[in-house]
Amino acid sequence: MADLALDVKGLSKSYGNKVVLDNLSFTAATNDFSVICGKPGNGKSVLVRTIMGLETVDAGSIIVRGKDVAKVSAGERNIGYVPQSFALYPHYSVQENIEYPLTLSKATAATKKEAVERVAELLRIKDLLGKKPEQLSGGQKQRVAIARGLAKTTDVYVLDDPLVGLDFKLRERLIDDLRKTQEELKVSFVYLTSDPLEALSLARTVMILAQGKIVQQDSLDVVYDLPNSIASMNSLGFPEANILPGELSGTTFTSVLGSTKVKMDSNPTNVVAGIRPEGFFIGSGAGSIDAKVGLLENLGSEFAVYFNIKNSDLVTVISRTDNESLAKLKSKNVSINYKPDALVIFDAQSGKRVGQGVSHV
Amino acid sequence: MYDIRLEGVTKKFGDFTAVNNINFTIPKSSVTVLLGPSGCGKTTLMRMIAGLESPTNGKIFFGEHEVTNVPTRRRNIGMVFQYPVIYRGTSVRKNLELPLLSEKLSKAEIDKRVDEVAEILDLKDVLKRFVEELDNGTRQKIAVAREVARQPRIILFDEPITNIDLTSKLELKRSMKELFGRLKQTIVYVTHDQTEAMTLADQIALMQDGVITQSDSPKEIYDKPNSQFAGWFLGNPGMNFVPPEFIKVSGTKITSPLFSQTIDLGSKAASADTFGVRAEGISVSGTEEKGAVQARVTRKALGAGGQYLLDLAVGSLLIKARVSHSVGRSVQNSVWTTIASENITFFDKSGTAL
Repeated sequence: MADLALDVKGLSKSYGNKVVLDNLSFTAATNDFSVICGKPGNGKSVLVRTIMGLETVDAGSIIVRGKDVAKVSAGERNIGYVPQSFALYPHYSVQENIEYPLTLSKATAATKKEAVERVAELLRIKDLLGKKPEQLSGGQKQRVAIARGLAKTTDVYVLDDPLVGLDFKLRERLIDDLRKTQEELKVSFVYLTSDPLEALSLARTVMILAQGKIVQQDSLDVVYDLPNSIASMNSLGFPEANILPGELSGTTFTSVLGSTKVKMDSNPTNVVAGIRPEGFFIGSGAGSIDAKVGLLENLGSEFAVYFNIKNSDLVTVISRTDNESLAKLKSKNVSINYKPDALVIFDAQSGKRVGQGVSHV
Repeated sequence: MYDIRLEGVTKKFGDFTAVNNINFTIPKSSVTVLLGPSGCGKTTLMRMIAGLESPTNGKIFFGEHEVTNVPTRRRNIGMVFQYPVIYRGTSVRKNLELPLLSEKLSKAEIDKRVDEVAEILDLKDVLKRFVEELDNGTRQKIAVAREVARQPRIILFDEPITNIDLTSKLELKRSMKELFGRLKQTIVYVTHDQTEAMTLADQIALMQDGVITQSDSPKEIYDKPNSQFAGWFLGNPGMNFVPPEFIKVSGTKITSPLFSQTIDLGSKAASADTFGVRAEGISVSGTEEKGAVQARVTRKALGAGGQYLLDLAVGSLLIKARVSHSVGRSVQNSVWTTIASENITFFDKSGTAL
């Protein structure tokens, strides 16, 4: 298919008995910002290395622009790469650092000049081209490293967690820069991260990586609203979704939140429920539960409110403008309620979504 | 307990002025967070309070006592650093007791203090364990507990959570908050992390280029930044700033294509140059409303708690608006925005709030 920049099929990789990539498949469209999002330890680094050709695969194909490159050397895959660690060559100027991958691939002087001008403009580092890395701030270095990865003129770029470890304000700015860059270049960005806020801020398309597989791929809105598995609900969302053990009896699910009428697509023996922080609200009435208030983490525009119900630690989010709720939270004990339809039921064994809450019982 | 008074405190390193003539009182028995970007002078200022650096100029007082030239060990302060300082090869209890033994306290008093702080910081279950067996987050709690058990009058924290892994960070924030709520000491806490600052502080002293630009409660400083810098630095994303070409001043009245009301700013109107509004200060509707300003949605993203962050274009101006999940999910290319007057902060040419 012409509109696919990258088509990964059945990718597998094991080290001894340890399966790291398990028949993993996904597609990345041309002119899309795709984010592969998963918790640490799910195979992210190995996935990046196999796509880039720095690691061989046991099975599967990596189709770039319609051609399987799984057995092609790294240099011939023609994929742009922004690695996680951004070591710049200290004795080279910023310009030489950005040009370096092009120099390696024996690009002409004119090609290099054009590439440097293009990325320097996009990442606002034109004034820095003559400087040495040691003269740059942390954020400037990171922009140079991203520019070096993007200097290669191609239509598929893999970005491996390039903002990890940077402070808030730098990330805020680089997130805007990266989105703008992708839109202006009209290329395919495949961005890997374990930071849910980054995934939420950057992605148009999301792939959830869990235990060496892509368990869900869809637009950001759909993955967020209709997670198909525990891993999907857990990996994408901030603060992290609450997971509640409980018992299913017919169409009634009972947990620390009390009993909820649910609509089930199938009836597995063991289930757990997930509820996003915004599924809760401060309020009494039918279905409300007594909770002990813990930490109020001030995120600026809202508070992450940690609370405890019968020894279960849970979290909700309250807007800073919701004065009524914030006033109630001054007391250590509050009534908390939840929207029944925010409760998602998963099969405890397979982790797959099997139902959803309907009403309080 | 002591307050900490800084009188004209300056620190120069060669030609570089790290701290520039600060006159400020850190109130006693409360938590003051020195917050700012890297290079703003917050760590240098703390190091001078600790006596680890001497000021180039100025005086430092703890209560009535001048300590400018008093060595660190005689200042009666506790210090917690970025990397936990622990005594290896020994138990957690021993780690907490060691400094107390040198103070010649009775066994009963030592036990009382250790148990008390272990209770607050949730360390009771690990008192007998060896520190090597524990993760970095717990080790940092031990370092905190040891300083607290000594009961100094002032405790200084230098980015104590910065190098702790993500999973332990929240637990440390929780236990610090719990601890700070119980302590009577004067706490000074340095960080570049706004969430940490806003969560833990009684007051935030925001620093930029070696000076304290604003000091207020987290709520005040977020709601009423006194400068564009404060508006930008706090908040994720920071405040939107609307440039002068979108502001029209006539007499005391201000109008803008960004809002339909007329704002009377009195005598300050003449100095109004730009205005700021936070992303959540912009109300957005998917349907046309009387008096609302039409904007084009150029991008959508999700954020904390499922809220949407919309990039909006009003003419050539780009601003960000934070909206509820349901509004964000349903809006199409065009939206109608209103900005309540109380959500607007005007700034003069220098970036100072009016």
